[in-house]
Amino acid sequence: MENDFKREARKQYLHFFRFWFIIVGILLAVTILVTVVRIITENNMKRENAQAPTERVYDYADMLTDEEEEKLRQLIAEKEAQIGCDLVLVTICQPVEGREAQETYGYRSTSWEQNMQDIADDFYDNNCYGFDAPYGDGALILDNSYEGQSGTHLSTSGKVFARFGDYEIDQALTRVDQYIESDPYRAYSACINYIADKMSGHGNSIGIVVLLAVFVPIITAAIFVATHLRSKEGQKTTTATTYIAGGKPVMNQQRDDFIRKSVSQRRIQNSSSSGGGHSSGGHGGAHRSSGGHSHGGGSHRR
Amino acid sequence: MIFKCKNCGGNSVYSPEKKMMYCPFCDSENSDERQYEHAQMQLCPNCGGEVTYTEHTSALQCPYCDHYIILDERVEGAYTPRKIIPFQYSKEMVKNLIREKFKKCTFAPTDFLSEVRLNTITGEYIPFWMYDYHTRCLFQGEGVKRRSWVSGNTEYTEHAYYHVVRDMSIEFAGIPADASLKMPDGIMDLLEPYNYKELVPFQPEYLSGFLGEKYNMTSDLIESRAHAKMESSAAAMLQQSITGYSSMNAANRSITAPAPDTEFDLLPVWVYRYTYKDQEYPFYVNGQTGKIIGKTPVSSAKVWAYGATLWACLTAIIVMIGYLLL
Repeated sequence: MENDFKREARKQYLHFFRFWFIIVGILLAVTILVTVVRIITENNMKRENAQAPTERVYDYADMLTDEEEEKLRQLIAEKEAQIGCDLVLVTICQPVEGREAQETYGYRSTSWEQNMQDIADDFYDNNCYGFDAPYGDGALILDNSYEGQSGTHLSTSGKVFARFGDYEIDQALTRVDQYIESDPYRAYSACINYIADKMSGHGNSIGIVVLLAVFVPIITAAIFVATHLRSKEGQKTTTATTYIAGGKPVMNQQRDDFIRKSVSQRRIQNSSSSGGGHSSGGHGGAHRSSGGHSHGGGSHRR
Repeated sequence: MIFKCKNCGGNSVYSPEKKMMYCPFCDSENSDERQYEHAQMQLCPNCGGEVTYTEHTSALQCPYCDHYIILDERVEGAYTPRKIIPFQYSKEMVKNLIREKFKKCTFAPTDFLSEVRLNTITGEYIPFWMYDYHTRCLFQGEGVKRRSWVSGNTEYTEHAYYHVVRDMSIEFAGIPADASLKMPDGIMDLLEPYNYKELVPFQPEYLSGFLGEKYNMTSDLIESRAHAKMESSAAAMLQQSITGYSSMNAANRSITAPAPDTEFDLLPVWVYRYTYKDQEYPFYVNGQTGKIIGKTPVSSAKVWAYGATLWACLTAIIVMIGYLLL
């Protein structure tokens, strides 16, 4: 008999969780399939733009050794294939501020920020960068090491432009600031890694998934157990009138006699309040380049 | 006495489905015949086996020959019940009721709803005292109706005072209190209400096929339980009749009733005494309405197994969805 009960308990268990097991099974199959497809196609996004040069690292300011440049090129090639965005690094060492610089180099303005932006955007546009099409998806890091006017500008385009708000741009540039003094290679690669991380959707989202995966099941299981543990003996089903013959009392006398009344008054004080809010998203530092293409971006001056 | 079938000599019992006496051995209806009236009942008059019972037992089953025995002297004289509600639910019907109600109790032990265990349920006639009260409710007080409104930037509040008088008569009929020591009072209260329209004059035939007791104590000893029910009901009625006031200041409030009329009746209850890990979990079913009262035992092994499985499934689903979407 004990064995019968055990068999019955197993049957009930499987019956109870049948939909759960089916869902897990289907998901598992899909996951395996997707994993296989991803392994086959990974690092293999198809580049649609043939107009741009293959060079990605323009170290005009000679910040990096040849070996470091080569390592950066490899890193960029790998990340580009993963996220489908062109990643370009340009280092310069030239004045970009003031009237003299404007006259010498033919800048649009005398402002450091404006000129850094123009140089970055124009470099991107003139070389027709963009993973999907000329002037398309990608980002360009422009680093200027000219004394007193050093700083970095990040120009975003296409889907990087759509994804990167002011916050992400600031974060990317902060990566450069952190290491540029001690190790320029580390600074640039950190920045590229950050951009690639953000564009592949990992980063924050993984944290959210981990958080969900830890807390949601625990809380749900706890609620499930709690609700099933709770058992009541039964509900009371008698009312106040259950045993009253005829279902209601007989009223012999019912009086509600008005005696008196009093009125008091009080002044009302008005008050009002208002608030504001912040919002964020992509499209940080949106503008149009001289070539007429949409870019985003921002600078950190050192 | 024992009710014997005239046709086959088997034990005739009252059938809730057929609403008549019935012999389960030869399918005869109303073929019953009283035998062994006022016989000595230390031994079963049918098989001679020794039967044991308590001082309150009025109907029992012989453990050897399964015949239902009714103790004449405990359904006669002062112990004659005035009325009885015969069982409306048969054993099979009650087993199905219990199965239906508890099939969703995931964590109950597996054998809780098994045929073997459910077969142990017994139909028992519980002695009840019924109390009729002629209650009078008097109330006098001062009520306040508060009203406020705004005009311009001034808020006005008006308090209107009323002299409130209520004088109510309430006829209570059949407030039940079980006169059985072995039945928990709170549980018996939860089994209520019974439909008194089906109360019929008592006949010993109804007891055949079931267990029964005479009243364990006289009506005066448990009157306080009925009185408390009466008072809370009357108080609620009084409360309901006074409406529309923001606040009420009672100057005089009384609920009084002269000594109640009482009546000794038998009401039907099915009892399922389920034992799990040496602890008894009794279930009581109203034999007339089918209302079930009782707490299901919880198998901790099941709680852990089900909780853990749910947790594992959810975690797997979230992780996989997260992996697929990112």
